[in-house]
Amino acid sequence: MKHMLTAVLSAAFLAAAASPGSAAGGDVFEAKGCVACHYTDGPAREKTIDDQLAKKGPELWYAGSKFQKDWLAGWLADPKPIRPMKFNSLTEENPGDHPKLDGADVAAVTDFLMTLTTDEVEAGKVKPKKNPKGRQIFIKKMPCSGCHQYVGRKKKISGGRSGPSLVEAGLRLNPDWILAYLQKPKVFKPVKMMPVFTGLLSDKDMTNVARHVASFKPKK
Amino acid sequence: MKKLMTIATFAAFVFLLTLAPATASETEKVFKFYCAQCHGLTGKGDGPNVTKDFPVSPRNFTNAAEMNKLSDADLKNVILDGGPSVSKSPMMPPWGKTLTAEQVDGLIRHLRTLCQCEGKQG
Ligand code: HEC
Ligand code: HEC
Ligand code: HEC
Repeated sequence: MKHMLTAVLSAAFLAAAASPGSAAGGDVFEAKGCVACHYTDGPAREKTIDDQLAKKGPELWYAGSKFQKDWLAGWLADPKPIRPMKFNSLTEENPGDHPKLDGADVAAVTDFLMTLTTDEVEAGKVKPKKNPKGRQIFIKKMPCSGCHQYVGRKKKISGGRSGPSLVEAGLRLNPDWILAYLQKPKVFKPVKMMPVFTGLLSDKDMTNVARHVASFKPKK
Repeated sequence: MKKLMTIATFAAFVFLLTLAPATASETEKVFKFYCAQCHGLTGKGDGPNVTKDFPVSPRNFTNAAEMNKLSDADLKNVILDGGPSVSKSPMMPPWGKTLTAEQVDGLIRHLRTLCQCEGKQG
């Protein structure tokens, strides 16, 4: 009996260790201390400016709907600054000291984060494409470029520094999430430094600007 | 009865005392969170978004001469509807869908403390 129990237990252990599935990724996420700065269960918890400023890192409860899988795996293995400024700071630069993962942990955590999806994002709405209407909104009609970096004319990085850089948005973000983020500010970020654009931009304009942002790629 | 009144007045006074600074500090928090990214933490127009490619300088709120040209109603309009609503740059965002009416009123008072000015009357 005792033998059988040991055998069953070790088989279960081996099975868990051998398949770097999402369950194992969730364990790695905890073991590596990621939970100290990121929460992974929705819905959004922030109600006040203080709640938002108390966070040590962005919420990840909709990571699987927000990110592109290849980008995520690459970033976890070699994280480079996304926000030009340090998280929640207007005076300090991003120190670029995000914890790194290696080996099998990268795939396991990527799988885990990609399971964190939300049905608030409708698939197939946004086809990435440079378009003059979206571009006009981004750089002229609305202040988007005042707070976000992007690749401008002659491949020069331009734009503001208080929001996340959108230079790699076409590789990093799910195009449909960009639209959902603009359309449903309360769902994803009830309290944020970015203005709410619902009622100011029509759904059509939001789709155009989302398509434009989703077409951003860093220069080769 | 008189004693009761005194207590009531005193309580009201304490209440006001705790209320007033709380709203002022709440407003400062709102300013630092939403406005300082462009206008700077002290309102001088030098937030982290203002690099050399930034097309126009965000208003320096400590410049009393400039701020005196604007009435409180002008401030309210531009905060709610953004630069283009008053023929200014679209880099000044519309905040009407983001902020509550109380937050906007608090911000107008805050801008008046920064400029130490009353603004255009009427
Ligand atoms: C000390 C706090 C801290 C810890 C611990 C931490 N992170 Fe982060 N994380 C951050 C911050 C701050 C950012 C924003 C980085 C940037 O903008 O460059 C971030 C960004 C991210 C992002 C991108 C999110 C987005 O919206 O841009 C992912 C994914 C992520 N972290 C995963 C992890 C994983 C996995 C771990 C554990 C190995 C981890 N983090 C540990 C603070 C932390
Ligand atoms: C006043 C500054 C400001 C303006 C104007 C602004 N944003 Fe943002 N934006 C931000 C900030 C700050 C965040 C990050 C919010 C957070 O995570 O708390 C953000 C987040 C985003 C994100 C998500 C990025 C990510 O990785 O999480 C997208 C996409 C975006 N903005 C697009 C836009 C578009 C399109 C416009 C114009 C219609 C715009 N923004 C205007 C400040 C701004
Ligand atoms: C994305 C950057 C940005 C943010 C964030 C921002 N502003 Fe501005 N603001 C500007 C710019 C740029 C101007 C100057 C426009 C011009 O002169 O054409 C300006 C001008 C103003 C003016 C003067 C308008 C006039 O008629 O001269 C007021 C008042 C003002 N902003 C208030 C605010 C308040 C209050 C907030 C926060 C709720 C805020 N701004 C957030 C960029 C910004």
